[in-house]
Amino acid sequence: MSHDTSETQLGSERELVAMRNDLDQMHGDVSLPALREVLGSPSGTSRRTFLFGAGAALAGGALLASGAGAAMPALAGASTQRLSAARAAAFPPKGLSGDLAVAAVAASLENLAVFAYDSGLAAASAGKLGTVPPAVATFASTVKGQHQQHADAWNAVLRSHGKAAVTVTNPSLTPTVQSDFAKVTDIAGLAQLALTLETIAAQTYQVETSKLKSTAAIELSASIQPVEMQHIAILYFVLGLYPGAQTAAGTPVAFNSTTRAA
Amino acid sequence: MTADPRALAELLEEAQDRQSDALHPTRDALDEVVEANRTGTADDDALGNREFHVAHQRSLASSFSGAAILGAAGGAALVGVLASAASAASSTDVQILQTAASIENLAVGTYKTALTLPYIGGSAANPIVTKFAQVTMSQHMQHADAFNAAARQLGGKAQNKPDPAFVPVVHKAVASLASDTAAQGTLGVVALAMELENIAAETYVKGAALASHASNKALFASIMGIEAQHVAVLNTVQALLTSGSPQLISLAPGTAAALPAAAGSVGVPHAFYQTDKAAPAGQGAVK
Repeated sequence: MSHDTSETQLGSERELVAMRNDLDQMHGDVSLPALREVLGSPSGTSRRTFLFGAGAALAGGALLASGAGAAMPALAGASTQRLSAARAAAFPPKGLSGDLAVAAVAASLENLAVFAYDSGLAAASAGKLGTVPPAVATFASTVKGQHQQHADAWNAVLRSHGKAAVTVTNPSLTPTVQSDFAKVTDIAGLAQLALTLETIAAQTYQVETSKLKSTAAIELSASIQPVEMQHIAILYFVLGLYPGAQTAAGTPVAFNSTTRAA
Repeated sequence: MTADPRALAELLEEAQDRQSDALHPTRDALDEVVEANRTGTADDDALGNREFHVAHQRSLASSFSGAAILGAAGGAALVGVLASAASAASSTDVQILQTAASIENLAVGTYKTALTLPYIGGSAANPIVTKFAQVTMSQHMQHADAFNAAARQLGGKAQNKPDPAFVPVVHKAVASLASDTAAQGTLGVVALAMELENIAAETYVKGAALASHASNKALFASIMGIEAQHVAVLNTVQALLTSGSPQLISLAPGTAAALPAAAGSVGVPHAFYQTDKAAPAGQGAVK
């Protein structure tokens, strides 16, 4: 059985390193200790904002259904439709830096997870993934709901500071997820894709937990990372692999890696 | 074979001795972790663990060297204030690190005891359960070593004893296993392990927020999810045992298709990890 091939499915190492550097830059841009103070800072364009904006313009992002009535673009069925560059380039929104920018990135990752699970459930219902085990359907539905709660929590942080909620999926990862999802033909393939997304999310939260400045943001990040890790454990179990963090070779590890953090 | 509470006490003491013997004062934290992680294959995640601890060491070193530079520049008063604050912060960090180590020590002793039971570590045991217990015990040993190494970096002592508040809980649970059947005993062990794992995970989620040093936050963050995974697995195992489906505790192909629907959610009960059962910061600190 092939093992953890997902590592090669979501972007190149260079892209992931670039994203990590961008987040580092984001933290470096901010010396203010609290979210409220961040709001009072000038909203000049940082190197990180420029890079994220440029990357978003190239990559595009999927706009999730929102109160504004925007439709969720199809991800299942091999759709690789991209949104307009103008809309995607707006991510992350202007004026976000430091913890608030991290909140925006986190919300975009959660939106992407919701999008992926929702598309997976839709494909399963349409009979495109073969027989779907009841436990897998329950898992996807449950976990999708949890990712929605995570996105809502980060967006609540943004709103509480007068910022707009993030309703797009992560622009850098969306095209690759779309492409990979188009290749999914069965439950194992869907589980592998979900495993990749969960791993990126968990490792991103793990990194951010020690970098965020505000206590509220740290506590939120720390409360979500273990939940994503639990998702990973169950996905490994579904795939017939040891149900815990492990190396690419399948060796369980005592300390979770951060090499795939966004 | 039944569980013997005396055996647990002996094993807990043995775990303490093991920590004392294994942690030579002259061996630095990196070597300890690298040694603990040595599995015979130098793969990328093992390197990641090593890099993490190298970064941890550097972070601590740089925080102190920064104070030295300030002092050299003539900012003696400022250095004094910083040193005082750092001391207080370090004291808190040492306490939560020692408490974490005490929980890990208790977990090691508990799994070690469990593995002596025929239905956990013997021929009558489910091989997946046995492997899980073995792997998890090893991970807790590595966690204890890492927490103690971090505590020592801040001038604290290694905590080689189990958390005193939870020892009676373990003793009581193990005692109750004596009259259990294999099925009851397995459920009892799973329930005990789950309680300890959840306490550990919640304590580290809280520790990640409480710790002052970024490197200690990172250490807690690298472990809390591992413990949460243990909880997820144990929750699922417990559900399968309770529902009379022990044969589904398996990694064999086709198992997922046979799992009941509830197995897909029982391991992931909450969207946000709680901290209401977290151990108080100083509960397991060295007195």
